[in-house]
Amino acid sequence: MSTNQEQLQDMMRLPAEVLYSHELEALRKADKGKIPAGWQMSPRSVLTFIIGGKAGKTVITPKYIGNTRLIEMAIATLVTDRALLLIGEPGTAKSWLSENLAAAIYGNSGLVVQGTAGTSEEQVRYSWNYAMLLANGPTPEALVKSPIMRAMEDGGIARFEEISRCASEVQDALISILSEKTISVPELGKESSARKGFSIIATANTRDRGVNEMSAALKRRFNIIVLPAPSDLETELEIVKKRVGEIAASYELEASLPADEALLKVVTIFRELRSGMTLDKKEKLKSPAGVISTAEAISLLTNSMALAASFGSGELTDSDLAAGLQGAIVKDDDKDKLVWKEYLDNVMKKRGAQWRELYQACKEMNE
Amino acid sequence: MNVNAEDQVFIFGVRHLSPGGAKHLLEYLNEVQPTAVLIEGPSDATGEIQHLTHAATTLPAAILAFTEELPVRTVLWPFAVYSPEFQAMKWAKEHGAAAAFIDLPSSVTLALQDALRSKEKEPSAIPEGEERRSIYSRIAELAGESDYDMYWERSFEQNANPGAYREAILAFSAEMRTLGEAKEQRERPAEHAYNTLRESYMRRQIQKTIAAGHHPQRIVVVCGAYHAAALADLTEAMSDEEAAGLPSRSTKHTLMPYSYYKLSTMSGYGAGNDAPHYFQMMWEAMESGVLEQLPHRYLASVARLVRSGGTHRSTAEVIEAVRMAESLAALHDGSAPTLRDLHDAAQTLLGHGELSAVAEALARVDVGTAIGSLAEGVSQTPIQDDLNRQLKRLKLEKYKTTVASTLTLDLRENRRVASAEAAFLDLNRSILFHRLLLLGISFVKSQPSGQEGATWAENWLIQWSPEAEIQVVEATLLGETIEVACAYMLREKLLTCRSIEEASALIHVACCCGMTSQMEEGSRVLQKLAADSRDVVKIAAAARELSMIIGYGDIRKVDTEPLIPLLVQLFHRGSLYLLDGSGCNDEAAGGMITAINELNRISQDHSEIIDDQLWVQELLNLSERDDRNPKLSGFACAILMERGAITAEQCAAEVSRRLSPGITADLGAGWFEGLSMRNRYSLLSRTSLWEQLNHYINSLQDDEFKRALVFLRRAFSSFSSREKTMIGELLGELWGVSGEQAAEIITGELMEEEIKMLDDLNDFDFEDL
Repeated sequence: MSTNQEQLQDMMRLPAEVLYSHELEALRKADKGKIPAGWQMSPRSVLTFIIGGKAGKTVITPKYIGNTRLIEMAIATLVTDRALLLIGEPGTAKSWLSENLAAAIYGNSGLVVQGTAGTSEEQVRYSWNYAMLLANGPTPEALVKSPIMRAMEDGGIARFEEISRCASEVQDALISILSEKTISVPELGKESSARKGFSIIATANTRDRGVNEMSAALKRRFNIIVLPAPSDLETELEIVKKRVGEIAASYELEASLPADEALLKVVTIFRELRSGMTLDKKEKLKSPAGVISTAEAISLLTNSMALAASFGSGELTDSDLAAGLQGAIVKDDDKDKLVWKEYLDNVMKKRGAQWRELYQACKEMNE
Repeated sequence: MNVNAEDQVFIFGVRHLSPGGAKHLLEYLNEVQPTAVLIEGPSDATGEIQHLTHAATTLPAAILAFTEELPVRTVLWPFAVYSPEFQAMKWAKEHGAAAAFIDLPSSVTLALQDALRSKEKEPSAIPEGEERRSIYSRIAELAGESDYDMYWERSFEQNANPGAYREAILAFSAEMRTLGEAKEQRERPAEHAYNTLRESYMRRQIQKTIAAGHHPQRIVVVCGAYHAAALADLTEAMSDEEAAGLPSRSTKHTLMPYSYYKLSTMSGYGAGNDAPHYFQMMWEAMESGVLEQLPHRYLASVARLVRSGGTHRSTAEVIEAVRMAESLAALHDGSAPTLRDLHDAAQTLLGHGELSAVAEALARVDVGTAIGSLAEGVSQTPIQDDLNRQLKRLKLEKYKTTVASTLTLDLRENRRVASAEAAFLDLNRSILFHRLLLLGISFVKSQPSGQEGATWAENWLIQWSPEAEIQVVEATLLGETIEVACAYMLREKLLTCRSIEEASALIHVACCCGMTSQMEEGSRVLQKLAADSRDVVKIAAAARELSMIIGYGDIRKVDTEPLIPLLVQLFHRGSLYLLDGSGCNDEAAGGMITAINELNRISQDHSEIIDDQLWVQELLNLSERDDRNPKLSGFACAILMERGAITAEQCAAEVSRRLSPGITADLGAGWFEGLSMRNRYSLLSRTSLWEQLNHYINSLQDDEFKRALVFLRRAFSSFSSREKTMIGELLGELWGVSGEQAAEIITGELMEEEIKMLDDLNDFDFEDL
């Protein structure tokens, strides 16, 4: 047992149902609501698991910070046994949410198809163990079921990550699965029908290269929820702060955590450029061509920390930040450079003394 | 004091625009069968009840009370078909019961609100609003709902149990009152006193009704939920002396047609609601007993609109949307989806996750386009009064005839008169005329002023017509006075404005109408639009417009200070993108020349506020670059020379570089054309420049020379003959010919041979040009 524990601790990352097993346990115990067929707990408890709260005496940590209503919509979708599609820009916690939903509802977030350009239809439906197929012909033992098929038979939730990266033909394999809720195996002359509780949570990126458009027929079979970038400064600050702290702890970075002021500056700049508007909504700005997500703000800060720890004093300086900002914002070409210059001169320069040093550092970097 | 149940009237508290309330109220009235229905509303407007319930009246309509003198104050009581008050009036009419309004008369309300306004100036109203919101959002939070509207709809509108609405709302408002009344008395004594006055007046009216012979048990009082608890006990009614001592302003009241759109834009508790058409649908579903079908109807309507917008959505998706809305409701233990649930389901299923795909359809189904109408002659609106008053004040009454006449205005201050009013009479007239123009009231027409560039003179053609009268009445929907209506109109226009030109034109209009805050709003809109534009020509034009407004704001007595940052920003943008925009063909170069001229003029007119250095720097860049349009580079060089930013030697060096033999003729001559488009005298006075040009021409091969000649001819075509003579003299000196001889050759008749040579040139083969 103890070796098992140690093994677990060595893992880079634990699945949600293991990581939060005590919370899930407490929620199941305290649950008073009606539990839908095939679910581990009532929809209300699932909601509590995601947005945080209390179950009996156990404190449930929030897994998703932001719009509670979106989570309600996601859960309501799964209650009506519709498939759920989470769409959003990179870095909006789509996969994180899908994993935690599956963990809470089904108790297993491991039935995953990880979509790539090379994903084939067999990985969505089923394939064969060819040695056995050649030896014995098609038998149930030779059948290799896809995670989706296993979820169907078990009445659980399958996850389909990055669905829009798969070729359109592969995506379309889902159409009949979702409408008929069966996978037929003609070689065996049998059909495998979904038990109650079966559903699929898929995730897709909106603004990325190498993404295939999803067909209207497939889109119609999903309830689509768009996950937005954090809605206000406080929420985003909270997310960034929490994650930077977690990452710094898990990689044992030996730099001091960024001061609140630095966090505030980075998040402010990101938000303003992303929304194309100053925070006071008085001025419109041009947005750079690339995506500037919360996840990037987090990695920018942790990178700067690593820089400061390995090559600097261990304290985050304005020039560390400026280098990170330059890299995050000016991605493509000269146009981004002009956008950044305009932002620096029109907005940041006028922000007063606290911003002066960062302004100077960024300006030099952008010359 | 002991209150005998026998002596008590029945109180029914409502929310003012509440279909659930209307439904329950009707049931209640049928049960009690009162002989008198008393309604919270201005008691002097009781006469309007018969007009409201008249068969020719279509709701929404509003009772409007307004003061006859300045400043115009108005107060409005809007009614929709699902207003409980309106249904009560209708019930009374159908059942032969008396119906009356029992609140303070509008004359008193307006006078008191005036007093309130002047008293509550210092403590800002914002924290109060916040605190109130926080109570409501706290209630919603406790009930597990996302917002208060959801809570209200789920707990009150959808509560179908007989009698539940009345009981619940009585309990709710009594609790709210005990929670907030002491605090209100302490922190907002004026408002508390106002409420106390209203309630004691309502008690007085109820007692009067009892005295008139109605049995208390046959009286139903319909009032806002907040007052319900206070009206049960009739002991503290206002006495006659007290009533006579109330302040009062002379007011008029009228019915006016109202629109769902207006209703949805009013905010605050009870004053309006966000989704009038949705609530009408709810009311209609309740009336025909099929409330459970509301989600189907609503989502099907949305889907229909989405489809008619060209996006296909299947019936299966509508079905799934209804299921999702119901499951969202179930998550909150609700019996039916609320509007918010329906919105979210529509976004997920019909919008495929994108709100933008369904937003317009949702807004149309929520708000609707209904506009009320009234029987002929019922309406006398305040905006008509306002116009008449202004015409009188500005001594324009005599123009209100069907005979056309013209009027010339001089906007400058008239220093020969005593009062400020008289000194700016014409300016104020101009403001009024511009406002009428904006509202589309065809009373005045602007005519071009005879003097070009005289910003202080305006000509107007004035003619009254019956159409104008109708247009004035229609403008009531925009606002109660001409100024308010204009502000509304401008705001609407700014909201839909999509281009820089439009926005700067609207700022101009706002300036002419003397509406400073709309000017600022306009500049915000312009700023937003400009941030997305890289078009130097448009940016420069907008900057020019602003610079003009700033320049002559003085004459119109408008504070143009807030526009300055925007001008600075536009100029900054224009400068930054100058180089970008200058990589264009000759056709577009014409527009760029104008833009550069305008930006340069701004940099000189407003040198104290804008970043002149940046401008000069960008011009230098442009002037030095070889890969931009040569005409523009030459033009930039000319400006720099004129401003003394480059010395004559630098210029000469540039000329020799540009006109060196290796450069193709079209580039060199194009550059020279640009250079010669600015101040020619400064060109003519620089001999070194002509030496360079001469040197260049000498160095050309025959064929190249012919080519260059074509371009040079074009460059010099816009020179006057006097200027050509001067050039002739200059070149003559270089060639050692006397000035007079040279001039003679240039201005003299052409020889036959020369004509032939020119004709040959016309046949010149441009090959790859």
